[in-house]
Amino acid sequence: MQGVLGAFREIDATCDAITELRKKNFSEITVFTPTPRHEFEHVLESPHSKVRVFTLIGGLAGLTFGYWIPIWISDYWPIVVGGKPVASWVPYTIIGFELMVLIGSLATVFGMFALSRIPRLTMTVGYDPRFSHGDYGIWVVAAPDRAGEVADVLRQHGAVEVRNER
Amino acid sequence: MATLVQPRPGDDGVHRPNLPSASNRLPAVADYEQVDRDIIATLGPTLGWFAALGVAILCLIIGASAWTYQIYEGLGAAGYHPPVMWGVYIVTFVFWVGIGHAGTLISAILYLFRAGFRTTIYRVSEAMTVFAVMTAGLFPILHLGRPWKFFWLIPYPNWRLIWPNPKSPLVWDVFAILTYLTVSATFFYVGLIPDIAVLRDHETNPVRKRIYAMLALGWRNSEHEWRHFTRAYLFLAAFATPLVLSVHSVVSFDFAMALTPGWHATVFPPYFVAGAIFSGIGMVFTICIPLRKVFKLEHIITLNDLDAAAKLCLFTSMVVGLAYLSEFQVAWMSGNQFEQEYFWNRVFGQWAWAAWIMLICNCVLPLSLFSQKLRRNTTWLFLISITINIGMWFERFVIVVPSLSHEFEPWQWGGYHPTWVDYSILLGSFGWFFMWFLLFIKQLPVMAIAEVKEIVPPRLRRPADHSHDIDIGYPDSAITLEDRL
Repeated sequence: MQGVLGAFREIDATCDAITELRKKNFSEITVFTPTPRHEFEHVLESPHSKVRVFTLIGGLAGLTFGYWIPIWISDYWPIVVGGKPVASWVPYTIIGFELMVLIGSLATVFGMFALSRIPRLTMTVGYDPRFSHGDYGIWVVAAPDRAGEVADVLRQHGAVEVRNER
Repeated sequence: MATLVQPRPGDDGVHRPNLPSASNRLPAVADYEQVDRDIIATLGPTLGWFAALGVAILCLIIGASAWTYQIYEGLGAAGYHPPVMWGVYIVTFVFWVGIGHAGTLISAILYLFRAGFRTTIYRVSEAMTVFAVMTAGLFPILHLGRPWKFFWLIPYPNWRLIWPNPKSPLVWDVFAILTYLTVSATFFYVGLIPDIAVLRDHETNPVRKRIYAMLALGWRNSEHEWRHFTRAYLFLAAFATPLVLSVHSVVSFDFAMALTPGWHATVFPPYFVAGAIFSGIGMVFTICIPLRKVFKLEHIITLNDLDAAAKLCLFTSMVVGLAYLSEFQVAWMSGNQFEQEYFWNRVFGQWAWAAWIMLICNCVLPLSLFSQKLRRNTTWLFLISITINIGMWFERFVIVVPSLSHEFEPWQWGGYHPTWVDYSILLGSFGWFFMWFLLFIKQLPVMAIAEVKEIVPPRLRRPADHSHDIDIGYPDSAITLEDRL
């Protein structure tokens, strides 16, 4: 993968550069920001995260499992009390609820990791440590023949550093 | 997530103010780099820190030694005699679970409610939750005659073909506490990932850099990662919110499911939850006030934040006070002589000293927080927080011990005298908690770097439009971006 990396000091300049790059049909744009900002979601028109699907599936699986365990235990090792059901769903709701939260939460984190593609063993190209401190970054995947055009846009919008990476 | 500049292209034209940013400003923080600098500066170990860690480890050793003695001698060494077979350990278990709750309240519930003042204190509160639940989890094990058999409560396939009784509150406890510990620790770690990435990029020592790099999981601060992160964080908060209510409700079922006078009450779950939040906020003050002083973070954990938390503390104190009154009212109106006798004995009889410590510390002294002057006086807040911790420990003592010592039959009535083993293990629990906490504050950031940056206005080329900002009237928040620029 090869492309151009630009570092910016100001958030509005970064947004302007992204808008212009999108107008010029550069689609593989990665934006780095020290803190989550809605502005980038807006200019990139990012789709909603699919983490919620993992949450829903995990939560439902946990709920089912949480009811199934005590019902199965009661059936396997019955404690018979006259006039009382062997498997009673009311107290088992506690276990069902707790496992819904537990497995739903773990599935959410798994979904976040899977969608964000972490853990990552090596830092891929197009990252600079300053992006976790105070600067914003734009990494644009571009063939060598269009790299100059990207660099021009980035500089024109106030990038403090522009460099080619591969 | 924060917003300052242009709205979404083709948006509906309705400008949504960013409430967390609006209610919480840090005029003394100029830019993102200062946030990194000020928070990372807290990581250098000092002589005072080593001394505090030494004291914590000493307390832990005292507790561990007492436990070893107890295992050798049996539970009688801990002062258990019929009729009181639950004592300091169960009291302290409920106390530490309660301490943990405020952390989740501040990190998850206040996150969902967009309460800006949580931003600077939530990391400390979350750490407090994880370590408090780790401490609480020890006590049911300490209370076992054969503690190495604790895992028998977990339902797993075993050669004995024996399964625990899922209708028992003790089994509910296992599920609730383990879920709470796992979810709190996960929530804590997920929130830390971007901040560990900051440390990774800042660190020069190769060994530490390597460790931070592994813990940061290759986080790169890309918009793509943030989008999934913020969504996952929201769902985790949404899970943690009912969880915090359920866990202490389940803990209260340990008592409420029994027919013992003073325990068998439907008010117990909300009463326990309110008490837990109250005690936890007390502990947040106990930790945060010295921390902001020692680490010179007064410009980040501002008086406005403490003021807002103190209002929450006052509110929960009044809820707890109402729960106490409800208990007395229900006993009075029930016509049940056992309940009436028990509550009379609690306040005017054998356990009056403990009940009055509880009432004064939890209901009377916190009323001083109606005064804004006292809410913004850190010395007073710290003192009040200590009395809240004491009062809330005694609340649990008053719930557990008097009921058992004064049940239905007068010939069964008795007393309870904790021994040096109980006190040593209680001391050891504080040592265990503070040891973890002290290790945490020197290895990981005590404040959420990324979230604090969210309330610091970003650098702009064009002047910012403040027409959508909300000024909620705090003294510090009157300073605008232009004033600072």
